[in-house]
Amino acid sequence: MKRYRKPIQYLILAAVLLIGGYAIGQSFFTSKTVLSSGNAAPEFELLGLDGQVHDLASYKGKPLVLNFWGSFCPPCRDEMPALQAQYDKWKDQGLQLVGINLSEDRVSVGSFIRSYGVKFPILLDKNKKTERKYGLKEYPTTFFITADGKIQDIVIGGPMSEETISARIERLFASGQ
Amino acid sequence: MIQNTKCECGHQNPLGTVLCESCGKPLVEDLPLDTPLEMRYDGAARRSQKANPALIDRVWNFFSSVKIAVYLIIITLIGAAIGTIYPQESTFINLDDAGSYYKDTYGTWGTIYHALGLSRTYQSWWFIGLLVMIGTSLVVCSLDRVLPLYKALAKQQVRKHLTFITRQQTVYSAPLVEEPDRWIEQFSKQLKRKRYKVWTDGSALLAEKNRFSRWGPYINHIGLIIFLLAVLGRSVPAWHMDKYIGIDEHQTVQIPNTNYYVKNEKFTVEYYKDEELPDKLKGTNRAKLYQTQAKLYACTKYCNDDPIHEPELKEVESHPIEVNSPLSYKGLSLYQYNYEERIRLIEVKPMLEDAKTGKSYGPFDLPMSDPPPAVEAGPYKLTLSAVFPDFGLDAEGRPMTKTRDPNNPAFVFVITGPDLPDKGEMYIYFPMPSGDDKAVQQQINDSFRKLGSNSGRFSFQVGKMENVSFSQYTTYLNVRVDRAMPYVWVGATISMIGLVMGFYWQHRRIWLRIDDGQLTLGAHTNKNTYGIRNEVASALGKCGVAVDPKALDNRRSSS
Repeated sequence: MKRYRKPIQYLILAAVLLIGGYAIGQSFFTSKTVLSSGNAAPEFELLGLDGQVHDLASYKGKPLVLNFWGSFCPPCRDEMPALQAQYDKWKDQGLQLVGINLSEDRVSVGSFIRSYGVKFPILLDKNKKTERKYGLKEYPTTFFITADGKIQDIVIGGPMSEETISARIERLFASGQ
Repeated sequence: MIQNTKCECGHQNPLGTVLCESCGKPLVEDLPLDTPLEMRYDGAARRSQKANPALIDRVWNFFSSVKIAVYLIIITLIGAAIGTIYPQESTFINLDDAGSYYKDTYGTWGTIYHALGLSRTYQSWWFIGLLVMIGTSLVVCSLDRVLPLYKALAKQQVRKHLTFITRQQTVYSAPLVEEPDRWIEQFSKQLKRKRYKVWTDGSALLAEKNRFSRWGPYINHIGLIIFLLAVLGRSVPAWHMDKYIGIDEHQTVQIPNTNYYVKNEKFTVEYYKDEELPDKLKGTNRAKLYQTQAKLYACTKYCNDDPIHEPELKEVESHPIEVNSPLSYKGLSLYQYNYEERIRLIEVKPMLEDAKTGKSYGPFDLPMSDPPPAVEAGPYKLTLSAVFPDFGLDAEGRPMTKTRDPNNPAFVFVITGPDLPDKGEMYIYFPMPSGDDKAVQQQINDSFRKLGSNSGRFSFQVGKMENVSFSQYTTYLNVRVDRAMPYVWVGATISMIGLVMGFYWQHRRIWLRIDDGQLTLGAHTNKNTYGIRNEVASALGKCGVAVDPKALDNRRSSS
């Protein structure tokens, strides 16, 4: 019996560390749905207005601006021209600017895009899944993501001015060098 | 101080032994004189008592201490109590910004409460950490005590040291005139009638009953450990879920993070009629029945948010969900939680009417969510040029949608076909049958006509109600998974068995020896000393030694 005493002690303490560590570790992770700068951008796979499926990985390698918008949200509508202007200004240098629509139907999105003259690519979220992954609390919300997929800036609310957008895009390019 | 652990009877005891494992003689010198002996764990050393503890032994000893366990329990209770001062975050269904909620509702104290993380007390690292430490303490304390106790009780000596016997709680000592062997045989017969197990060794005797009650506390601890593990198991995501979902009638909604979808076929609410109510409640709406006709589907293909395909669903269960009658399927339970009356169109089947010819075409299907880009009605093609699920006008008077919910949908069609201009004619259509909407529809169509976008010849008519499907109620269901519950019950049952064993039976032992005509008897029980004194006095009385039970109480004479 005495021979087994030490191993049993180690076994029990190891089990405690394992189970306890898991339980305590869980308590740290459950509440963390809010993204902040420095986090990796959450994965998504969405249908675009172009009829193709796009995922986050396909945007890696170049700076990416993700703008969550809906036609029902006045500041989202108001910042569209600024976003389009910045897209035109930076796209030749490799900037990707993508609008993710907040789970509206295709026809609404299509007619909105046409009437506002938006030319940058639009993806369609479904059942609010992607917006939940990104922990959106307010519309619009714009994520500035570096070429290696890290969130560098988050702008919550709007409308953003062209300067606001431009300053952040410059930082995206600066961090890539 | 190095303690000599070798007893005068020649037995070598482990360090920390209080009473010799063999003869029972007290080994610790500074025991208080003349008081009954401390009989915990039969005086055996706790397992972890060591001369030179290493780090692991120190950790072990920390958890082995009952004092520490009591402190841990007290701290946990205080923590749990603090968690009840304000409602926990987990009790809210939709709490987007917890910080501002606590600030607005409870003021400064609420802000502090939330900032300290007390609004999530029971999920916090320190609370779970305390539970883990209590669990560890339970295991270590039990193991350290039950094994030495088991060994001590398994190899008991019949002949005990005189000091051991005379310093029990119940003692008797007197000269015996009868022949020792015969008297012992007689006495043991009496004890056996009282369901004692009796061992004799010459002129010494040991009688014992209900030893199993000593294991009660340890069985209770095993139950508590299972209980605690089950509670910790709830933090495994697949083991525990408590979510709320709202579903319109005829709508199918995915249960978050599962492969299951629920459809609300129909929601019924019935109220008591006035004659069914007592006088003071007459005229009020008292619900008699809330019922959701629910269907549960499992997804078989395209389940992981496939961007192109709709998920393929297979019905697995259907049940009319009422209060206290949930839909249950493989550990998943859907409870009726709430409802809301909110009319939502789901689909209309309007006819396209041509005022010029008096003809009407259709009907065509127009679903409110994700309508098709174009439909056909007779020879005409209707291309959807804009959709406003919740129609309104923006600051500049342009049409917009106020929300993404189909509260007041409007559709803009471009109609092309025979004897129409190539660019078609444009009409707006409000399917909601309200007067306001019809007026706005008329106004907008008139303005289109002024701009030359249409000739005003077409209109949309739904006609009969069977061409309209709508949802009147949104039902709210509580989705629950609690796979830890059976283990909680098993743990609680084992714990209860242990408590009953320990509380309703007592371990009783009687030691007796006769030395040169002198009878010495000592008896011990962990509780109910009255009971054992009565048993001893009665057995002695039947063997010709008359004694008052009270006179056996050693504690009375010493105090």
